[in-house]
Amino acid sequence: MTSLRNQLDWCVKAQAILGVCLAFALGLFYVCGYRPSSHRLADLQMEIQHKRRQLNDNTSQVAVLPALIEAVKSAIPNDRKAAIEKRGEAAKKAFAEARERTKQAAALAWDASPISTARLVMETFAQIKGLDWSLVASSGNVSNWPNRLWPMEKHYHWLGASGGYGVGYGAPASVGAALANRDLGRFSVSIQSDGDLMYAPGVLWTAAKHKIPLLAVMHNNRGYHQEVMHVQRLSNFRNRVASLGGDMGPIGTSIENPDIEYHKLAESMGWWAKGPIKDPDQLGAVIKEAVAVVKSGQPALVNVWTQPR
Amino acid sequence: MRFVPVSGLAALAAGLVLGCGGALAASAEKGKTAFVQHGCWQCHGFQGQGGVTGPKLAPEPLPLETFTAFVRTSNRTMPPYMEAILSNEDLADIHAYLETLPKAPDPKSIPLLNQ
Repeated sequence: MTSLRNQLDWCVKAQAILGVCLAFALGLFYVCGYRPSSHRLADLQMEIQHKRRQLNDNTSQVAVLPALIEAVKSAIPNDRKAAIEKRGEAAKKAFAEARERTKQAAALAWDASPISTARLVMETFAQIKGLDWSLVASSGNVSNWPNRLWPMEKHYHWLGASGGYGVGYGAPASVGAALANRDLGRFSVSIQSDGDLMYAPGVLWTAAKHKIPLLAVMHNNRGYHQEVMHVQRLSNFRNRVASLGGDMGPIGTSIENPDIEYHKLAESMGWWAKGPIKDPDQLGAVIKEAVAVVKSGQPALVNVWTQPR
Repeated sequence: MRFVPVSGLAALAAGLVLGCGGALAASAEKGKTAFVQHGCWQCHGFQGQGGVTGPKLAPEPLPLETFTAFVRTSNRTMPPYMEAILSNEDLADIHAYLETLPKAPDPKSIPLLNQ
């Protein structure tokens, strides 16, 4: 029964992929300015229908896609192939240049304390890159460094965000995703912001209780920075000073004095936890320890003081 | 004897120039405090390194005139800051602070950025 279900699942997935490939291929043709004749298009459609029948017969699904891709490639005229290749070279060059600019931006404030978000993200990656990792949440705002610097090559490498800029999504979402990843043998990691964790800290207990392995590296910038510019703008319109300086921050956005000791909070709910880490040179070693704990099947949290963004 | 009043005047003039210069010179130290107090760091980072919420300000900040003009008239995400809430003196100090911030290391020299 399980085997039959697996086969059916496979068939549905393969057909979905086939549909996407068809859409992509047709899109590619049109983007490249190639307009297939109705005769040629009919041939292509027949080829696809033939492959679909093969899928429905449940034969050699894996072999179908490469053959289809080859069929699509061979349908492109030579002059268009050259144009695509030229465009590909330009895209590769632009990507390499953008990558270089990204690294230059990441190097700014590299040794700063509080720790830069680029450093936080890359110290984390250095400890997980050899594992079958899955970034289950990146709450708060770390300037999108994981998406800019980590190789996102598998569908589970980045599980996305709340979809509505929802503060409080990160902690529970990461625990839920880590539960799913646990049975698939994947290593779950989250960049956990401080304000986000304050919405539903009880989820820490859930993770410990059910032995859900999750590495939470905190982006603890000690504030709800999401609202800062809105507060600042309204104050400036009225020529009022929004930021009171010191540990006050703009009205209502600072989470300081008292500073929340998230590592103690997590520890009290059964997590392995360390922090607050303020020195960037200490960060790698602590994350390494935490990774070992998570690999043993327990959740671990590293509380890191970070730059705001 | 003729030279005495001339040299006296010269000394007075030099003193005035130096005195005024001292009063007008921007202070990077005060600028660092103002940078925090006015909340610049919240979008641009404590070292002006920038992020998705605000562009990098340092190293190599814009010239003071351009910098001031932008802060006073911004119509982008950053709201304009009028003199009533951010004085010219504070702005010059902030600029002086930004000028002291060192260049970033070459990313090629950072192993973590070349994994």
